[in-house]
Amino acid sequence: MSIKNGITIEEFIESCNKFCEISERLSDGWKFYGNEVDKYKSYIKKCSFLQQVKSDINTLLRAEFVIFYNLSYGVPSFSFNVWNSSGVLLSLEEIRQMSLISINKDNFFSIITQQEHPVLLRPYFVIHPCHTEVLLRELKEVSKNIIVTFLGLVTPLLRLDLPFEYGL
Amino acid sequence: MSSLEEQTEIIQYVPFMSFVHPSFWHTLTEQKLDIDKLNENSKQIFGRFTYRSDLGSIFEVDGTSFNSTPENEQFYLNVKGKLLNKNTIEDFKNIDKASLLNTVGEALWKEIKNRKWIEDPSTLLNFIVLSFADLKKFHYFYWFAFPAPSQPTIYLGEKSTSISNHFKKEQLESLAQAFKSLDLEQKCFFVVTKSDSVVIVETLAEVLLKKGFSKDILELDFTNTYFGFADSSNSNNPGWSLRLFLAAIFDLYQNLHKNDLKIIGLRCNSNGGVENSLIFTIKASQNIQAVESAGWVGWERNDKGNFGPKLANMSASMDPVKLADTASDLNIKLMKWRLVPDLNVDIMKTTKCLLLGAGTLGCHVARNLLAWGFRHVTFIDNGKVSYSNPTRQVLFNYQDSLGGGRMKAEAAADNLKLILPSIHTQGIVAHIPMPGHPIGESLKNETINNVNLLTEAIKEHDVIFLLLDTREARWLPTLIAAHYGKITINAALGFDSYLVMRHGISDSTATGDASHENSFIPGGQLGCYFCNDVTAPGNSVKDRTLDQQCTVTRPGAAAVAAALAVELLAAMLQHPAGVQAPAFYNLSSETENDIPLDMQGVLGPIPHSIRGFLHSFQSVLPTCAKFKQCIACSDVVINKYKEEGMEFLLRVFNSGTYLEDVTGLSELHLAAEMTDMLALSEDDDDDA
Ligand SMILES: [Zn+2]
Repeated sequence: MSIKNGITIEEFIESCNKFCEISERLSDGWKFYGNEVDKYKSYIKKCSFLQQVKSDINTLLRAEFVIFYNLSYGVPSFSFNVWNSSGVLLSLEEIRQMSLISINKDNFFSIITQQEHPVLLRPYFVIHPCHTEVLLRELKEVSKNIIVTFLGLVTPLLRLDLPFEYGL
Repeated sequence: MSSLEEQTEIIQYVPFMSFVHPSFWHTLTEQKLDIDKLNENSKQIFGRFTYRSDLGSIFEVDGTSFNSTPENEQFYLNVKGKLLNKNTIEDFKNIDKASLLNTVGEALWKEIKNRKWIEDPSTLLNFIVLSFADLKKFHYFYWFAFPAPSQPTIYLGEKSTSISNHFKKEQLESLAQAFKSLDLEQKCFFVVTKSDSVVIVETLAEVLLKKGFSKDILELDFTNTYFGFADSSNSNNPGWSLRLFLAAIFDLYQNLHKNDLKIIGLRCNSNGGVENSLIFTIKASQNIQAVESAGWVGWERNDKGNFGPKLANMSASMDPVKLADTASDLNIKLMKWRLVPDLNVDIMKTTKCLLLGAGTLGCHVARNLLAWGFRHVTFIDNGKVSYSNPTRQVLFNYQDSLGGGRMKAEAAADNLKLILPSIHTQGIVAHIPMPGHPIGESLKNETINNVNLLTEAIKEHDVIFLLLDTREARWLPTLIAAHYGKITINAALGFDSYLVMRHGISDSTATGDASHENSFIPGGQLGCYFCNDVTAPGNSVKDRTLDQQCTVTRPGAAAVAAALAVELLAAMLQHPAGVQAPAFYNLSSETENDIPLDMQGVLGPIPHSIRGFLHSFQSVLPTCAKFKQCIACSDVVINKYKEEGMEFLLRVFNSGTYLEDVTGLSELHLAAEMTDMLALSEDDDDDA
């Protein structure tokens, strides 16, 4: 199978909008943040609180998930941050230990890297698109919504519940 | 005392728990740096809490808190507050917290007294953040307070009960609908009236300011009327905001303490349903105390459960120096994660490198060290940056060459810091004394001083790079480094050739040619730069292919040699035997496979030296053992240095032949004409 083209920014934005409509119906919390000046900086975001129980101490954490358009690969990219009540970001090792993400240790650090977010311009953990790119391009033809398909690929890695109503 | 007070307990409000988002600190920092600067005036900000039943009493602030109008989020209410950011940690610590809270409370109470809250109940809610931002370290000290009067005392008439004990299912649906259609600022406190099938939700103003209603006496049907509030709590106790509402309403209506009041703590689930809400039946103390006579409470407890400030250390995600450091580390870590799992990342960070010479080689070596994750680099050089330097000496620029030129050692260190601020680097301006370069009495002290500087520097570092432009200058550091057992990497350039090598560190018993029958030489027994050279480094004018002062070289030679020098070090540090890593004869891609894995090291087998020729684009890997009569690393020289110290060195500097006498080399001198690079010439494969 030859590698298909990626998606255009227009397709990305359209999929985002449709996805967020469904999300609002489901109260799933995904919101679209369009950028009219630079459409490549449009993204969708979801925030949620997480309970972390470590040696009987219950800590409340906040997680933020952002899907943005990766210009070099022409695919959606997944990024996230987790922080505590003071706003201090958790390190990648701390995130790995809370098993929010089900990737084994060997692959973990090569799949997820902290970098300055291309859209939000602050440090975020980004899942490297090379792990989703090829699959996504193959699935593009049969996908009803590329964001849904993309999340379908990413969510097995992250413990991010995705309601079935999205039509996975 | 009424019977109610005897049977029941004082109401406990669930305090807010502050939750700060990183964007709050980012925006605070921007505002402090760009707008407020040293202005300490308080700043209006917004916070928000949710009345969702699945979350506790969390009070959030983020970057949008600084906006003039707050952003609205489903199931959240915004609260207006103040940020008091102090300029110094002392101001932050010393401010009288109790009196600050009372001042804020009294101002709030004055507002409450003018009854504006009836029309805009959201004005009852308030918060302050006292903070100090250490913007050098990105440390934020902060303390939230949610001011509330300590009076009146309110009792719970009975245990809180589910709202379904008071409302039927249809009534709850109608309540949910009616609540949803309230204006945002009316959602915090409102009135619910129940009649047979319908539920009416009204604003406080609609009820309390009804025509004909008394201003001081509230006469309502308290069996079917409920005061509602958006409840931040998800436990059996009501959220903090109820406290302010009760204080306000009991103060307003003097008759109210005679009645039992029913309160709805409204809590929504994710689809807007209110069936998780609670009913609190409450009563005020008979001898109600005026708010004015009581103090204000509401400072948040910290993570230890004490009343005290919290600290957000944001340096890891906000300090650009740390971010740059982490990001460049990532390159090394990726190597480990993706390709070389056994790579020791930390050893690069802790190994201290001393670069003797901050010229073409020194600049290139320093940059390659940075790339490999080294964080300690010291330069020694006594030259100045000249106009011709910046194009070849890659740490310098035109500015460095102006006005006579900066000292190379210092400019190199400064410029390295511009590339990676977290690097530990310094430049030492010192001349390295050389054999056969006589020093008069006038220069004696300065020479001794330079020797001491060099000796101290070598002692303090783990690796010594010899990147000097004369052969003679390499003698003293070779000797001192050998004496202190430091890893030594040597790089020298000719016009279109280069030599990169490591020196052996031997324990004195292991020298000699013991390993000749083997296929390798143990790292400790490898020769130094001078071992292969039968001539002592006098002030020779002999024509040499390498290491001539002012040698013109092809530019690539320095880049290649410097890169190899650093790779040689990296490979050695990653080898389990370290500096003792063996050097094999006839190392090539074919023979490499015959080398046992434990002798290869994580990054592969390590040669003794690399001799490269740009004219043919080839390189050879000569390997040779220590020379017993070496003028720099032999036992006889090291012992002489050990015994006589400076006296010995001065004699060497002053005499071009003294070293040859000491080592007995004079006797061998007939061989001198043969070659100055015995083992290094291109066609000498026996030894290589
Ligand atoms: Zn030697």
